[in-house]
Amino acid sequence: MLDKILSSRFWSWLFKGYGIVFLIFLYLPLGLIFVYSFNANSINMAVWTDFTFDWYLTIFGGANSQSEFDAAFTESPERIFEVVRNSAVVALCASTISTVIGTATAIALQRYNFAGKKFYQALLILPMIVPDIVLGIALLIFFVGAGFELSLLTIIIGHTTFLASYVFIVVSARLAGMDTTLEQASADLGAGPLTTFRRVTLPQIMPGVVGGFLLAFIISLDDVVITYFIAGVGSQTLPIFILAMMRRGLRPQINALAVLLLAFSFVVAAIGLYLRSRKT
Amino acid sequence: MAGSGAILARKRRTLILLLAPLTLMLSVFFLIPLSIMVIYSFLEPGLYGGVEWNWYPYNYGRILGWPLNDFETFEVIYLKIFLNSAQIAVMTVIVTFLLSYPAAFWVSRMTGARKNLALFLITLPFFANMLVRIYAWLLLLRPTGFFNTILQSTGLIAEPLNLLFTNFSVIIGMVYILTPFMFLPIYASVEKLDYSLVRASQDLGANPIQTFRRVILPLTAPGIIGGSVIVFIPALGNFIVPAFLGGSKVQMTGNLIERSFLQSRDWPFGAALALLIMAFVVILVMFQISRQNRAAERGIA
Repeated sequence: MLDKILSSRFWSWLFKGYGIVFLIFLYLPLGLIFVYSFNANSINMAVWTDFTFDWYLTIFGGANSQSEFDAAFTESPERIFEVVRNSAVVALCASTISTVIGTATAIALQRYNFAGKKFYQALLILPMIVPDIVLGIALLIFFVGAGFELSLLTIIIGHTTFLASYVFIVVSARLAGMDTTLEQASADLGAGPLTTFRRVTLPQIMPGVVGGFLLAFIISLDDVVITYFIAGVGSQTLPIFILAMMRRGLRPQINALAVLLLAFSFVVAAIGLYLRSRKT
Repeated sequence: MAGSGAILARKRRTLILLLAPLTLMLSVFFLIPLSIMVIYSFLEPGLYGGVEWNWYPYNYGRILGWPLNDFETFEVIYLKIFLNSAQIAVMTVIVTFLLSYPAAFWVSRMTGARKNLALFLITLPFFANMLVRIYAWLLLLRPTGFFNTILQSTGLIAEPLNLLFTNFSVIIGMVYILTPFMFLPIYASVEKLDYSLVRASQDLGANPIQTFRRVILPLTAPGIIGGSVIVFIPALGNFIVPAFLGGSKVQMTGNLIERSFLQSRDWPFGAALALLIMAFVVILVMFQISRQNRAAERGIA
């Protein structure tokens, strides 16, 4: 009966309608930023006046027709370039290191039996469930106490501590679904562990490793809270830079910057999701 | 036989080599910092930031009312703010659940490419920067924002509605950020839902409401509870959402922690507040793990 009710025209129509509302809820706010980023009206973004590329041009240092008032809110292209470069360096380093560490740990836990296995599984979950703000201040206290100067390095270290767990989970899933007979065959045929890893295991788990890397890359690129506490004065990342801009007031330039960041995140995420959905 | 001993020794070496980087990193940059934070919460705040190495449990007294000394006073505002944070986090859990549950059924009834597309579209906003997503709601809710402009131009309201800087706006922001965390676990358990049990319940004469309450809801409960835990935890400690969508009107414990670290420089007090949040999180996670273990045992039996 419920089956019939659920598949009745009325209910399937209702589900479909709800689904569309749900998607609108997810995308309307982001779409709005996109539309506003082309709106020439610099006083009130919600009122459309004219189509313009100016807000994007100001980011890249192109000519623009803005008033003195806007200039006060506008960051120089050099400054934006610097924080984008900082973000890229942090995300690349942190995700590369955590991919190596996370993959090594995944292999150890999937392929070996040892006494402390349960302990490691619990330890790996911890960085993901500790609230960001707690990890952020714990790292701040630690870095200041240990005499580290807050810099890009401290941000990279901070990100790596929790990103390795994400890589571990993605690679573990891949390893668990993998056929181990090939590894055994390779070992039986006289290949050493390193050769077996390089020639047999790695090619098979590669989609998982790349997927884990991309996930780590995006999380690092987007991280606000932990970076907020452990970024020094000279080591702002793009999200922290946007946070500072938002604190000073909402200006159209933020729209353009946000759209560029969104577009980049979505492209990386789409590649990652595609790789993950592809089976072997 | 000596050969197998050598192989074992080599295996051990490989294992140690594989685990060493993670062990080193998590002990030095995770476990030690967390332990230092715990210690700090029991130290005396220094006059100009930093700490004095004296046993000083009175940081907790300011929040909980005990223990206190001559210098520290109990202020009930901290507990009030904590309760308000917990209330916002609970509301966030409820709203994300109400949004995600029907959506999970909607997607689970699709097939093939459509299903993949729907899952892709729902997962994608998760990768949008948190600040950008909060910023979007600022644009929607502020007095000269999207909603107010539309309502005013249609003549429904004369003056802009006060949508920002309320518990409502903070909850909306949280919901928007955390919905994917609720959707994915719920979807996983809805997808696994065994419809033969639903049919059996109907064949045995249950009405749709009974079937839902006694069969569908219990079978999807693991996803609901899992999603609730991973939505509640980040909602409780969040300070970015209240900072922008709550303004100075809505304070959460996260804002107090941020301020005691970056403005008033009272680190021990901030650490004590952070530990209060951690205690909540640990209790929740232990509850979740023991529930999972019990479910696993039942599954084997």
